[in-house]
This record gives sequence, structure tokens and C-alpha cells, in this order.
Amino acid sequence: MAWKKVCRTNDVADQSGIKIKGPNPIAVFRLGDEFFATDDTCTHAKFSLSEGYIEGEEVVCALHEARFCLRTGKVLSPPAIVPLRTYPVRVEDEEVFVDVD
Amino acid sequence: MKTDSTSNGRGRLSSEMLRGLVDEKTGTLDPRIYHDREIYELELERIFTRSWLYLCHESQLKKAGDFFSTYMAEDPVLVVRQKDGSVRAFLNQCRHRGMRICRADCGNARAFTCSYHGWGYDIAGNLASVPHEQDGYRNEIDKSKWGPLPVPRIETYNGLVFGNWDKDAPNFRDYLGDMLWYTDGYFDRTAGGTEVIGGMHRWVLQCNWKFAAEQFCSDMYHADFSHLSALIARLPEGVDPSMGQMPTIGSQFSSRNGHGTGFFTDVNTLDEFNGPVAAAWYQGPHRAEAIRRLGEPRASQISAAHMTVFPTFSFLPGIQTLRVWHPRGPGEIEVWAWALADRDAPAEVKEAVRLGVLRTFSAGGIFEQDDGENWLEIQKVLRGHMARRQKLNVAMGLGHQQTNHPRFPGKINNVYAEEAARGFYRQWAQMISGEI
Repeated sequence: MAWKKVCRTNDVADQSGIKIKGPNPIAVFRLGDEFFATDDTCTHAKFSLSEGYIEGEEVVCALHEARFCLRTGKVLSPPAIVPLRTYPVRVEDEEVFVDVD
Repeated sequence: MKTDSTSNGRGRLSSEMLRGLVDEKTGTLDPRIYHDREIYELELERIFTRSWLYLCHESQLKKAGDFFSTYMAEDPVLVVRQKDGSVRAFLNQCRHRGMRICRADCGNARAFTCSYHGWGYDIAGNLASVPHEQDGYRNEIDKSKWGPLPVPRIETYNGLVFGNWDKDAPNFRDYLGDMLWYTDGYFDRTAGGTEVIGGMHRWVLQCNWKFAAEQFCSDMYHADFSHLSALIARLPEGVDPSMGQMPTIGSQFSSRNGHGTGFFTDVNTLDEFNGPVAAAWYQGPHRAEAIRRLGEPRASQISAAHMTVFPTFSFLPGIQTLRVWHPRGPGEIEVWAWALADRDAPAEVKEAVRLGVLRTFSAGGIFEQDDGENWLEIQKVLRGHMARRQKLNVAMGLGHQQTNHPRFPGKINNVYAEEAARGFYRQWAQMISGEI
């Protein structure tokens, strides 16, 4: 386990995501009080999923409308075929930690 | 920017021949400027790539990602609000096969994706993603080199967003030049500024763009005859028909840069044009603020004005119709028109302005019909071989201009004159012949 502090809770507006920069950028999404972390780059073509549209518990890539489950990373719509990697998230004292291991 | 000479010095379109199509000194026009395909192609190159062209109103781009899809002459461009609040525009053309990148009229986007093969662009117009980059392009495409062409110059003037393809163009206020005093009087009247209300009216007319642009620049002359039936129809029953008469005292201004405006100064002709609710606002709080900001004569002594910023942006202050005449070949235009209202006006005033514009100057407006009918009939007449050989008269008021008017700066003539038309066509001839 490698818990890493990535942002504060109020850095992420409800029903949206932010990009955590790094060699392997992570997207942190917020649905109400629940936070999700995934790879930020769409598995179909190179684009940031934190720029995507949130629909229910799914993120839709803004470029080609590949759709992924935020909870599991499962592909819900082509053109993506490779699932999205997801990461465990923990919130403590208004700070968001992601297990990036 | 001197343009390259695709036709200059060879064939029939020499610089000398092009300059001679307009003789502003005698007030004559060669009608080839309205129907000739080759001249039209030169207009696209020499006028529309070097002039400031209206793109949209800032109120259409409220938040990051808001976009408006418009044209600079025939070139489709996307205008997009950026995350830092700035406005950018770029050619709406994918650099792969040339498909239109965004096919929606307006909206909010996180990215733009070409619908053909899926090349993806961020809202700044950078090529961000190419499908099959690895297995198709073998990671050998340099995406930084294949973005759509940016519009290099964007400026906002009192909420109006203009673009220019010429990176060396003068800034927009210098381009307005001696017209600035007048446009400030039309667009900078209140601190709250303006917004476009409702949607947009678009329609197609089979006529050359210059008929429309020049008329709004210079032509009060047609109003009391072409629009006579509409003026009478607007009168309530039982009212003395003399109430429908136009005023007679006014001035026309001709800009050195081809812009123009004209207006009456004796009575506030159009105060009631958009009905009593709009009138109460525009004669009340609006006018009081304009007097504080602008003083007279601009606050309340100019009425029923028409205006064009060269080449294709026009506005009727008071009536509040704002429009662009997008050229579509020598014999066709698309009119894109909006209703403009004070941003801080009450909702019922905005609605009154919207309905007023709808009733008068819109695709179905009672005054608009008269104008369109004239323009497209002229275009039909110009199919005739003999008709094409007749010089046209643009000489009204020739030699009677003054530059020492007590109230109005710049080159001034009577409200019934063609001073601004001569200035408009002089600018056109100078640009198309390569003189400027």
C-alpha cells in the first residue's frame, strides 16, 4: 500500500473530476461525498478523463465517448476496449488519499 | 499586409482595372462589383482576410468551454471561451481530411472531436488526440504541427468580439478610427453593457453582400419610400397619417476606413419603435445614464441611426438589430441577426426588444421584407448583359461634405447623401486593387 495525499475535498466540485499530474496522471472524481480515483488517460486514445462528462457513476470521455464505470473501471461503451485502472480512495480530515501502488 | 497577386497584372483583373470599378470622385460604380465571380474570389482574399470581422457577442460565451460556431466570410470558425477567461477562435477545419471539427451551432464543450476519424482537439484548438496513434501512425505524428489554423487577432469592443486573419492588422480601435466616436455612442451607453437576447435569426438572400452592408452604412434615402407601407401599417387606426412621415433633419458620417453611419437629429423618431415597455426603459434610466457617460449630442440627439463597420457588421441603434452579412458567392448572403439589449434591463424590457426586432427587422420582419426584395431584384437584373454594362449612380451630395460640423466630428454630409457609400466603396476598391 502506498497512500498518497492528492488533494483536498473541496478541490473537486461535485459531479466533476480533477487531474493529478504525474508520470502516470490520476483523475479524482467526486459524486456527492464519495470520491473515486482512476487513471486520467482514456484507454482508447490519449485524452484526460477528468475533462470528461459525469453521468451517474460513469465517466464519458469528451473525445470519443468511451464510457467507464467509476467504481470498477469497466468499459461500458466502445470505442474503448481496455478497462480503466481504478485506485482505492480514503478521505481523512478533508484530505483525499489515493493508494497509487 | 500586401496580398499576393493571384490575378494582378495579368488577365482582365489588373490592379488598375479593379481600382477603376469605383470612382468615388464622380460618384459612379461599375456593377461588376456585384456579380463577377473572379472579383468575388479576390474579395475573399484581399478584403475578408485583412478586415476585422464580427464573430459573436461576449454574452454568448459565459463560461469556459462555451463556444459559438460562425464564419469569417466563407471560412467556418469556432469561437471558444477559455479557462483563463480569454476568447480564442480557430478555423473549424480538421487538418486530417478537412472535415468540419464542430458541427453544432453553439454550446459548451470540454473538447472538440472531428466526426470523420475522431481527431480530438482541446478547447484552445490544439490537436490533443489522434485515434490509432500507436498502431496506425506508429507514434510518428507530431500533433503540435497539425492543429487547426488559429485566428491570430481577437479583440473585444464593448462586448462585441471581432477577429482578423491578418496578424499585422491595426488594433480594432484604430481600425474604427474616426468611427469610434459614433460606435462608442451606440455601444458604450451604460456601464452594464449589452447582451444578445433570444436566439439568432438566420436567412438566405440571393444578393451581393455589398447591397446590404452599404445600405446600413449610408442609406437613409430608401427608408421613407421603400418602407412606406410598413411605416403606415405600424400606425394605430385613426391616427393622422402624417404621423408616419420621417423627420428631415440629420447628418451622415463617412469614415476614412470605409465605415459609415447616418441619423436624424430633430426628433427622437424611434423612441416608441419597440413599444411602450422598451421606450420607458430607453427614454428613462438608459438615457439618463447615457447622458452622464456620453453627454450630448450622442446620448439623446441622435436617432433612427443606421451603421456599418466595414465590411459586413451592421447595427440599427434604437431598433436594436445587430447583424452580419456573410457572403456566399457573388450573388448570395446569409444574414445572421440578433436582438441587442441592455444587460441590466428588466426582463420585460428585453422581451419587448426581442419582440420589437422580431416584428420589424428579422426574417419575418415587416421592414426586412422591403430591403430583401430590393436587393435580390437588383441581383436578378444584373443577369442581363446590357444591365451589367451600365454604370450606377452613387453621387448624391457629392462635393457637399464638411469637416467642421458644429456637433459631429469627421466627414459629414446631409442625412440624405451617399458620402458614406462613397467611403465604403473607396475602401473596397483600395483593398481589392492592392492600393492599401
